[in-house]
Amino acid sequence: MTLALALAFLCPQEESVSLARHLRTLREQVARSVVAIDVQRTADPDGQFSRGQFSEHADYYNRPKGPTSGVIYEADGLILTSYFNVSGEIRKEGIKVTLANGKEYVAELLGFDEQRDVALLKIAEKDLPVLPKADPNAVGQGTFVAVVGRSPDKAIPTINLGIVSAVNRMNKAAVQTDAEMNYGNAGGALVTMKGELVGVGCNVKPRNVWGQSGGIGFACKTAEIDKVLPRLKNREKIAAENRPYLGIQPGEGNPDVEGVQIAEVVSGSPADKAGIKKDDVIVEFGGKKITDFESLREQLGERKIGETVTVKVKRLKDKDKKEYDEKEFKVKLEGRPEP
Amino acid sequence: MSVLLALGLFVQADDDLKKVLEHQQKLRAVCEQVRPTYVFFGNGSGVCISADGWVLTNFHVSGDRDNQQVRMPGGKKFMADVVGWDVHGDIALCKLREAKELPFLELGDSDKLAVGQPVIAMGNPFLLGNGSWEPTITYGIVSALHRYMDNPGYFDAIQTDAQINPGNSGGPLITLDGKVVGINGRIDIKRFKNRVNTGIGYAIPARQIQRYMKAFQAGGKVDEGFIDGITIGECGDTRYENVGQYGDGVFVAGVEEDSPAAKAGFENGDIIFEIEGYRVYNANRFHGVVSNWPQGERLRVKVRRKVEEKELKVFLGNPAKVRARELAASPVDLGFTPSADFDDLGVEVESVAKGGVAEAAGLKAGDVVKKVDDRRIKNWDELRGAVQARKPGDTLKFVVVRDGQEKELSLKLK
Repeated sequence: MTLALALAFLCPQEESVSLARHLRTLREQVARSVVAIDVQRTADPDGQFSRGQFSEHADYYNRPKGPTSGVIYEADGLILTSYFNVSGEIRKEGIKVTLANGKEYVAELLGFDEQRDVALLKIAEKDLPVLPKADPNAVGQGTFVAVVGRSPDKAIPTINLGIVSAVNRMNKAAVQTDAEMNYGNAGGALVTMKGELVGVGCNVKPRNVWGQSGGIGFACKTAEIDKVLPRLKNREKIAAENRPYLGIQPGEGNPDVEGVQIAEVVSGSPADKAGIKKDDVIVEFGGKKITDFESLREQLGERKIGETVTVKVKRLKDKDKKEYDEKEFKVKLEGRPEP
Repeated sequence: MSVLLALGLFVQADDDLKKVLEHQQKLRAVCEQVRPTYVFFGNGSGVCISADGWVLTNFHVSGDRDNQQVRMPGGKKFMADVVGWDVHGDIALCKLREAKELPFLELGDSDKLAVGQPVIAMGNPFLLGNGSWEPTITYGIVSALHRYMDNPGYFDAIQTDAQINPGNSGGPLITLDGKVVGINGRIDIKRFKNRVNTGIGYAIPARQIQRYMKAFQAGGKVDEGFIDGITIGECGDTRYENVGQYGDGVFVAGVEEDSPAAKAGFENGDIIFEIEGYRVYNANRFHGVVSNWPQGERLRVKVRRKVEEKELKVFLGNPAKVRARELAASPVDLGFTPSADFDDLGVEVESVAKGGVAEAAGLKAGDVVKKVDDRRIKNWDELRGAVQARKPGDTLKFVVVRDGQEKELSLKLK
């Protein structure tokens, strides 16, 4: 025993040995807050892809059997998972959550955000272990991360190691990781090496072949989750179609003016109705400065359908002198029309 | 005792985390360093390797087209021209217009790579970074070296399990000291039509690219080297006698008369076991090593002949073709390529470069240059001699024969 101790103190350890040993510790530490989720669906098909030849399928995605994963987000029984894990037509009391200690609960689906691919579940329990949240500024490209899931065996958590591949994906809502993420551990916790929660595994929707992550996984950031958490607690179901829509096509940009140059305005769209025209450059949206299409999308995502937003544009007045008029329009946001 | 033990374990766990975080710090630092050098190149990737905008990518990403719009992280746009390219080796060297003081990465020594060494790959898989203009970085190790595949000819590839997907093509494979050791290209995939990484990606090694660099910068299509006029067999082939054992190298089964191989002194039965210091252990490795150099280079080849060892110097490729290419890329750009036939009756024009000074002067393919500034010209060397002392801005008087008639042209050097 003393020898082992002495060895532990004296021997220079290989990085990989340290890493392997650390991951074992980390798995135990994080897995306490990772749950397994079983879902029983009705024969009714799944949401938006249910039309046509697939309408006979019990589950359009033909999800593999076995549980998926979720993360305890608040101590009094609030659990987050990927919306995809709990989408579709679910039987009454069809969602079951199994904790690390093996206790099983019937869970209620409180709300979801389809775009961010997160869903909030509630179980009747208190004093659950919650993971600390990682400081988003400390999670840059190249940060070691691990995804911890509880599938296919609820008793044995899975840990996959990777790095943060990119920090702004899915309209800045998600980080990208090369830690292998598949159906099963999606919905689980993406954590730093200190066991802090970076996000919840999301957007794993392979259509043809299951079990190929390709080293590209996503996790919805905790900051993004916190943005919608009150709405989810309030039982809001935010479907992707229900996000506001402006009705413009961005162009290649205007070298003279920073903003979003409009290549096309969809006729009958909110932008069209308000009087915004092709080649206008959007420079402000609801009082917030717009530098590029990404920033416009971000601002748009913060709004609700039916809201009226002031949009400031620059419109060419004199081509030779490169003079622009600044104009303001009141745009009433609508939902995206059916294609 | 148990207190001590618990303390020991605690300290160890702490120590493990410390080591992991140290490694992470290295990784993050290199990510910060390399990210700004990435180039969003069409449906693939590229990397900037000089402050004035030389960019490497895969040929299958860039093709040989000029005037392509590319971007760098943050979205800054550049126009890229493809300068030199190797079709089989799948590498293209491009130049960004009006580029200066760009962040760039140096090429590293891929010969020093070790299996198991950590590496990162930078790319734009599935074009995820379009819009936010943030490249993807994946982490893995060197799985194997000197992988051989033909069509396309990745004859000496680095294999990595850093995740490489469609869109990563042309992006750099980078060691943790921030050097480009390879350009990521093809991947092995699990199922037909399902182009997703399975942990097997291949990169073209930096040493190979460095050996092609001069030819790439001179411009045009660069051909992979081969030893012209030699037929080889795998050592240990039971259909032959005295050809050693598998692993010894390759044996020479035939030598074509008057070929570069014959001139170098290869003989039937020679066993080639080393080229430029690299061990050659089988036919794949032979092709792998030789194609590490472009045509026109001279390689030192060690052969075993009966009981003695010999070193031979062999010219790669077809000499006439290589010469024509060299001439076309001579320092004073005349804007035309001479024919490879040297008959001392003048210099025949093979092709005229678009936008060059020869085109401006009205020179056409098929013309035979007879005189420059009233000096009679028998061959290309004399023509070069006639223009050597002239400077950009000078005007040369060319007398050419076209359709049997003499014509006078004036060619203004740029």
